[in-house]
Amino acid sequence: MLDDDGRAPLHRGDVIGLIARWLHLTSLVFVVGGAALLVLAGPSDRPTARRWEARIVTACRILIVIALASALVAVAVQTATLEARAHAAIEPAALARMLTHTQGGVVWLVRGGLLLLLGAFVAGRAEIRDRADWRAARGQIVLLGMLALGLASGAGHAVAVEPGTAIALAADVLHLLAAGVWVGGLPALALLLGLAAQDRGADARPFAVLAARRFSRWALGLTGVLVVSGTWSTIVQVGSVAGLLGTTHGRLLLAKLLLFVAMLGIAAFNRCLLPALGGEAVGVGRPAMRRLAAFVTAESVLATVVLAIVAVMTVTPPARHEQPTWPLHFRLTLDNLVAAPDFEAQVLIGSQVAVIGVVALLASLALRRLRLALLAGGVIVLAAGIAIAVPPLVSDAYPTTFQRPGVAYQATSIAEGATLFAVHCAVCHGAGGRGDGPAAATLKPPPADLRAHHVALHTAGDIFWWISHGRPPMPAFGDRLDADARWHLVNYLRALAAADASKLLGPKIEAERPWLVAPDFAFNVGPEFSRSLKDYRGRKIVLLVLYTLPASRPRLDELASAYGLLGSLDVEIIAVPSDAAPAAIGQLGATPPIFFPVVTDGAGEIVATYRLFRGAPHVELLIDRQGYLRAIVSAVSDARRDIDLLLAEVQRLNAERATPPPPAEHVH
Amino acid sequence: MRTWRAILLIDLALALGLGAGYLWWGQQAQRLAHELAIARAQAATGGEREFQGSGVVRASLLDSAIIVITHGEIAGYMPPMTMGFRAESPQMVQSVKPGDTVRFTLRGTPPNLAITAIVKTAP
Repeated sequence: MLDDDGRAPLHRGDVIGLIARWLHLTSLVFVVGGAALLVLAGPSDRPTARRWEARIVTACRILIVIALASALVAVAVQTATLEARAHAAIEPAALARMLTHTQGGVVWLVRGGLLLLLGAFVAGRAEIRDRADWRAARGQIVLLGMLALGLASGAGHAVAVEPGTAIALAADVLHLLAAGVWVGGLPALALLLGLAAQDRGADARPFAVLAARRFSRWALGLTGVLVVSGTWSTIVQVGSVAGLLGTTHGRLLLAKLLLFVAMLGIAAFNRCLLPALGGEAVGVGRPAMRRLAAFVTAESVLATVVLAIVAVMTVTPPARHEQPTWPLHFRLTLDNLVAAPDFEAQVLIGSQVAVIGVVALLASLALRRLRLALLAGGVIVLAAGIAIAVPPLVSDAYPTTFQRPGVAYQATSIAEGATLFAVHCAVCHGAGGRGDGPAAATLKPPPADLRAHHVALHTAGDIFWWISHGRPPMPAFGDRLDADARWHLVNYLRALAAADASKLLGPKIEAERPWLVAPDFAFNVGPEFSRSLKDYRGRKIVLLVLYTLPASRPRLDELASAYGLLGSLDVEIIAVPSDAAPAAIGQLGATPPIFFPVVTDGAGEIVATYRLFRGAPHVELLIDRQGYLRAIVSAVSDARRDIDLLLAEVQRLNAERATPPPPAEHVH
Repeated sequence: MRTWRAILLIDLALALGLGAGYLWWGQQAQRLAHELAIARAQAATGGEREFQGSGVVRASLLDSAIIVITHGEIAGYMPPMTMGFRAESPQMVQSVKPGDTVRFTLRGTPPNLAITAIVKTAP
């Protein structure tokens, strides 16, 4: 169920599920971290240290029970969500279906089994004297805990990443485990420091200092792992600045990062406190230890909040799959330099100055003597560099700027857009979009020439915003045209710009330089056979032929006789009658026979779209395997010779390295 | 027995169990795929069969008694494509011309099929 904003409303069940997930994650993380700290610190025979260890083991028992109970609740909520009815949460049959028939369910099942094993293990006696036994027993808690924690990735967002599932999964597992040991170790360390700072805890003070030092060393490495794996996951799951700033998932991630940085700040400060803890002597370093305990406790509290954010993130769709709502009224883009190359020098100089500033800041870390001077200088130079380089890159931006078009860039939409354009826009912008409509003369500023190069610098979302909200003197169309109609117009404008740019294309392809995306289209041949241009992507080169009878018939005969040869070179021909006659195949006649697809349904939209590119009665467009328009022939003189030319161009396309499929979101 | 030995044994058993479970899962998937392939192959070679299709005639080649049809999916036999089918009688070839939309019946032992009936449908 979606409400008006396209967002699912939050039910009571969702909240319960979220709390369960948070409790589950937090308790499991604290088990792993607590046990890991036990192993790190090693066995000790000091009474306070033993008291601490006993408390950690007891805490582990309680936490495992919490983890199991919350897992049950989370599974029940998930079942209710999957079956879309609340009652399923308490039906054994529904729960069994969810646990055995979905990957998420199987992962819960295996993890539950591991937790039970872990629970049975920790339930045993806590007192172990022998060193090897002790290490094995404590290490086992870490091992089983990590297994149960790491397996959670198998039911998370990382599994859905494609391609690169294995790397995404590995990054997610590493992130979880590193977080488990570092974040989970914090409360255990705080407890140890607190106990040791008491009057009767003096015996364990050297032990606590040792544990803190070892933990600190490990934490440094683990933070590195967290940063690297977290960055990787962000690239995979968020992918863009717009996703980071404009979606729920991205904003949660930002909040998490902020808290993470705060935790790092406290951690850095704590590292500075370590030397003050002092040696063995009773009374030495006690205030420092108490302070450290307090700070580590604060860090743990932040960690719990971070884990709550993580729990919410596991049930929010990744930013990459959401429409971002851009929160700022500007954006930075290098495309501005294409329109105004004069600013290139300014941006280059500015960025160089900024680099000098960064170097000075780095140097201030190394050179202790000049630290203050370098720090101040570095900040000033960096700020100056940014002030010089950034202004030319600033563009206006709107909430919809980075939204992907709600309607695909497709002939049907473009033809629809052309009709809408004639009704609503041509009065001012002119029938061809040149800004020369009948009403243009009276307007100030004059209506834009929509074929102009700068139009290509704006995203589809920018143009959508202008059509929706107006740009004085242009009125807003948001209340007159529905969202789909406005996207049709955006697609039409994109096609108009593409058609204008296609003037650069000739009969010969430009090797290795695909840049113009061919608008997709759907077509039928006869009553049963339907395809779209996209179906050929990655498989075949397409020669799109817009023909007019009877003039085109000799050329079609040539193509028909070369069809077998073209087919062996991986070329499909799609012939479109320019009069869009449904009886096109019959009109072509019986001899010589034509076997390539002749469009009987959908021709009207294809002609309306591709006529923008070339207006001639017979046009042939060569579209490569990635869906880029590479060559256009509009005058076919000598059919036989032209077939040889076509074959040569096809051979050149076949010799190319594959290029990635075209991006869809920009109006280029 | 020493505790660490017991733990080691438990872990070994666990690793074996998890590994076996994972492999069993993978094999299960493979077995199902294999069975599906066999079932498909059997369906394709199970003696004489009959299929129904519809499409648009692209050419009727009288000399070779072949009708080329751009057809939709022929359930249980082939996806949509343009291809030539042998016609049982020359009259059939003569009865259709390019552009006709037709419904047709294929009979035979795959891949040896021939059109046994062909009728024109509305335009």
